[in-house]
Amino acid sequence: MWLALAWRNLWRNARRTRITVAALALGVVAIVFLETYRESTFRQVIENITSGALGHLQIHAAGWQKSPELERLIAEPAQVEAQVLRALPGTKIAPRVLGYGLVGAGEQSTGAAVLGIDPAREQGELHFVEITKGKHLSGAGRREALLGVDLAEQLGIGLGGEVVLVGQAFDGSVANDRFTVVGLADAGGGELNGSGVFLHLVDAQAFFGLGNGVHQLVLRVPGGHEDMQVPQTVLHGQLADKSLEVLTWDQLVPELKSTMNEKRKSQAVLSYVLFLLVALGVLNAMTMATLERTRELGVLASLGTRPRQILGLILTEALLQGVLGLALGTGVALATVLAVGDISLAAFAKQDILGIRFPTTVHLVMQWHGLAQAAQIALVTMLVGSVLPAWRAARMKPAEATRSY
Amino acid sequence: MPKFVAILRLLLVALVLNVPTLGLATEPADLPPCPSQAEQPDVAGLIKRTQRLLEGASSTAVMTMTIRTPSWSRTLKLQTWAKGRELALVRVLEGGPRDTGMMTLKRDKQLWNWLPQAARVMKLPSAMLGDGWMGSDLTNDDLVRGSSLVDDFDAKLSGIVKLSGGDAWQVVLTARPNAPVVWGKLELQIDRALCLPVQERFFDEDGKPLRTLQFSDFRTAGWRHFPAKTTVIPEEKGRETVLQYLELQFDVAIPDDTFSLQRLRQGR
Repeated sequence: MWLALAWRNLWRNARRTRITVAALALGVVAIVFLETYRESTFRQVIENITSGALGHLQIHAAGWQKSPELERLIAEPAQVEAQVLRALPGTKIAPRVLGYGLVGAGEQSTGAAVLGIDPAREQGELHFVEITKGKHLSGAGRREALLGVDLAEQLGIGLGGEVVLVGQAFDGSVANDRFTVVGLADAGGGELNGSGVFLHLVDAQAFFGLGNGVHQLVLRVPGGHEDMQVPQTVLHGQLADKSLEVLTWDQLVPELKSTMNEKRKSQAVLSYVLFLLVALGVLNAMTMATLERTRELGVLASLGTRPRQILGLILTEALLQGVLGLALGTGVALATVLAVGDISLAAFAKQDILGIRFPTTVHLVMQWHGLAQAAQIALVTMLVGSVLPAWRAARMKPAEATRSY
Repeated sequence: MPKFVAILRLLLVALVLNVPTLGLATEPADLPPCPSQAEQPDVAGLIKRTQRLLEGASSTAVMTMTIRTPSWSRTLKLQTWAKGRELALVRVLEGGPRDTGMMTLKRDKQLWNWLPQAARVMKLPSAMLGDGWMGSDLTNDDLVRGSSLVDDFDAKLSGIVKLSGGDAWQVVLTARPNAPVVWGKLELQIDRALCLPVQERFFDEDGKPLRTLQFSDFRTAGWRHFPAKTTVIPEEKGRETVLQYLELQFDVAIPDDTFSLQRLRQGR
């Protein structure tokens, strides 16, 4: 009966109720949409980097991440790979070599990062580079190289051109050789486009005299996502050589993760501010709604309605509006997300943030977690906004209330 | 008669190539004398003499270079040709499988490397001048610059130190403003008997020590004395580069095309 009463009361001043519900719904839409947009972007960024340069997890020799020296090697990668598959079945593994040197073409020369990759294992779900021109490395021992797109431009060299590489080999001797450029590579933005020379893994190992050794085992874990701590622990437990370091993608680029978390925090603050404003509106509306009915509530009280029941009635009215606003907001937000679908970020394209290429399109995926948050805030807002007027209404003296007009 | 012509031709060739008179055992007249007895020698003259002793108009040498690092050690055998401060060529006679036959040519302020495995010449970008030459503690800059201690630094005698081999003057060299040098300060210990440095310490502009050069195994070639062994000790722990001369000749005739880029490109 109280619910029915509250419901009827809502529509006695239908316009005010509609405005309150609409304000609330707008707040919900704003929160859900912003949350969805942000988290979808983050998902895309994480997807991009974990399928490209970083992987979900990486295994290195002890201390390599901190000081990536040539001699810090995983000496027997095949054994480690077997252990990885035992710990995390179905994981895609890409072994990589990273050294530094000079790359020269004609009279031009500049510093280079020399990367050894296995083209057969850098495909689909896990691939370091996109070939923008030419073709991928065809095999070992063919003296083929891919150049970062910007590096090729800097050296003024195109497909079929010859580059000379010089560096320091594992034994201290001068590594030097020449390679034919078969393709130009986009390593997902960042420095490597301007300094990366990609060789076949075996060629890079021979160039630097590394034997079978590699510097990174890059892992793409099935079902992997933002939080990789559990697989990290599982994997480390399975490795025979405990000195190997296992790092999650966010440990590899801690700045990215902390930027994401800062963004999350600042948007949460924004949400609360938004709802604080809505709460003030609710306070105003509910104060009016109770003041208007001072006499009527006084009559109710005179007829023996308990203060607690009056408090309950007003709060129920508020909650009902909250539920309505939430339902409306959710519907609109869901419709918006579905209608928008993909957001083009072409304006940001080619823009590197922290050396990571921003995705060009973001596919919006409804963030139910955001909705849950919005629901909580919305209902709390309604209650907070109405508790004061409800309290006042419940505490009214019936005699005085019935006398007021 | 043909014999006479042959001798004449030989003499002419010697003149053209500026070959010094054989057996020159006396010092050139314009070289400041070694002020061994002086407590307060003329420092400028002393430095001038020291530098003149160590660099001839031309020289050729065969030496070994031993590089020790925490992760690897290796010894290379090198042959060098130098003419004045502008021209120099270093060839790796014996090294690893990748770098035996490698050559570095210096012409004025520029360096080119012949890379035997690539069979190509690569010019060293100027940004790499500070890097170690062939992984040693000698920088490319050491090869290129040959800075003049006399022209680029102010010298001051700071005292006399007793060393195991005898007394040495301690001289502090401070870089002149705008001098094209990478060092801020040098501390030299110069042996009083030979007027040759036994130790050079290098500092940057902020007075931070960068590396130490130690000279030993002093030998004589004609009128010159020279240290046959140079040890380079950088500040980085566990590293050291030792140069040991096996043969050294000063003021010899070197054909000009030794330093030609054309020739380097052919790997000869």
